[in-house]
Amino acid sequence: MRGQGVSHLSRLELQILGDNTKMGWGLLAPIRSQTVSRSLLYNRRLPHSSFTPYFFQHFQPPSGLTLPSETMAKDMTLLWGSGSPPCWRVMIALEEKNLKGYNHKLLSFDKKEHKSEEVMKMNPRGQLPAFKHGDKVLNESYAACLYLENQFKSQGNKLIPDCPAELALMYQRMLEGLTLHQKMIDDITYNWKVPEGEKHDSAVKRIRESLTAEIKLWEGYLQKTSGGFLAGKTFSLADVCVYPTIFTIFRFRLCEERYPKLAAYYNRLKDRPSIKASWPPTWLENPRGEDIMKDI
Amino acid sequence: MAKDMTLLWGSGSPPCWRVMIALEEKNLQGYNHKLLSFDKKEHKSQEVLDINPRGQLPSFKHGDNIVNDSYAACFYLESQFKSQGNALIPDSPAEQALMYQRMFEGLVFYEKLNAVIYYKWFVPEEERHDSALTRNKEALATELKLWEGYLKKLGSGSYLAGKSFSLADVTVFPTVAYLFRFGLSAERYPVLGEYYALLKDRPSIKASWPPHWLENTKGQDTLKEI
Repeated sequence: MRGQGVSHLSRLELQILGDNTKMGWGLLAPIRSQTVSRSLLYNRRLPHSSFTPYFFQHFQPPSGLTLPSETMAKDMTLLWGSGSPPCWRVMIALEEKNLKGYNHKLLSFDKKEHKSEEVMKMNPRGQLPAFKHGDKVLNESYAACLYLENQFKSQGNKLIPDCPAELALMYQRMLEGLTLHQKMIDDITYNWKVPEGEKHDSAVKRIRESLTAEIKLWEGYLQKTSGGFLAGKTFSLADVCVYPTIFTIFRFRLCEERYPKLAAYYNRLKDRPSIKASWPPTWLENPRGEDIMKDI
Repeated sequence: MAKDMTLLWGSGSPPCWRVMIALEEKNLQGYNHKLLSFDKKEHKSQEVLDINPRGQLPSFKHGDNIVNDSYAACFYLESQFKSQGNALIPDSPAEQALMYQRMFEGLVFYEKLNAVIYYKWFVPEEERHDSALTRNKEALATELKLWEGYLKKLGSGSYLAGKSFSLADVTVFPTVAYLFRFGLSAERYPVLGEYYALLKDRPSIKASWPPHWLENTKGQDTLKEI
């Protein structure tokens, strides 16, 4: 994360942080996000035994005092499943907007908990994520991401660029990301979604070819776009929404040598705080997935 | 502004229609446009591929900014032309949340519609099954009930996000119009019928109505029994 100073923090937040870090103001400058400390605070598992600055380990907000972003987050509830890209998108967005401390519940797809009454009440489609802010329901992950950026524009990281060219490219890649995701889903779920009597080798082949062409397209996009992010030089909603899908494709062992630009993107963003903080827990226990995509 | 814009489109394609409604709503009439034929495979022509490597319509350009995905184009236009034409994203957080939610559910709605009316276009002959088409029709019926319920909850005369016309209507109305064009029964889905009637005479929608629907006002009855 690039250092961006402390101007984004309110006077109250600065005072709280200042009073509670032994090292003082100067060292706040490089720290853009409080992800690491918050994760410790809320007992969320950290994905790696990564370097944790000394003063974060001793950071504690004074009891009884909550930061504005925490108050907001307390009105939010997320029902989610580990490894689901749509769920991951929302969690990355929440982290990017400094909305930690939201209520959340991890559910199991295997145990069909996504069809439980608890989920159905929030989402009649029986799907995850199911997300609520107060009485506003935003179960579609893209809807939740756009809503969060628009409602919390002035806090956390800015996720929609001002420059029209980058903004245009961001929306374009974001929405194309749905196509990439769908093609990936069609490929990995064919065997268990399509009834036995309706399966065709020609369909499997067609779906695989379609996914291959799609992945090649994205490799090309990253070759053409300078700046390291999908919309150019800044991390944006395009990355929030599409990274989880790209990550999943590599989890299924897409060959990194064949797709160097995608691999570089995937590896570089792994260390972004919002992504580390929301890493699917079941993938920490089992980091290597099946090699379904190694021949693409 | 509009003169720097180019839209390659096909008649009756809901994604194309969305962009055209948005352009009308933002008072961007006068944009350059070319009507192409899907039947003649003109969507795979070099002219399209130059703007859109996917060979799909709509293909949309504003100056150097290429925004082919219809939702992306709608968001782009509303963001760049916020202060002209009609406001398409409500200020109220509750309406805004509902707008985004319905917009993206609208993509699911559109897919379920296509899975029925374009079953033969998308699925090669040797892979088609009556059981699959039946399943798709049932899925569409379930989806329709959901939207009927959404509109009913908001009350008569409402738009999808509440009291104002928004991007949710821009993006979802074409799907609703398609349903009725393909024979959906307004008796079975009265609230959707009312929504359709409410919007079909809206200036931006009239101005962008698919030309071949005007020439041939009778649609098909594929969805009659749903």
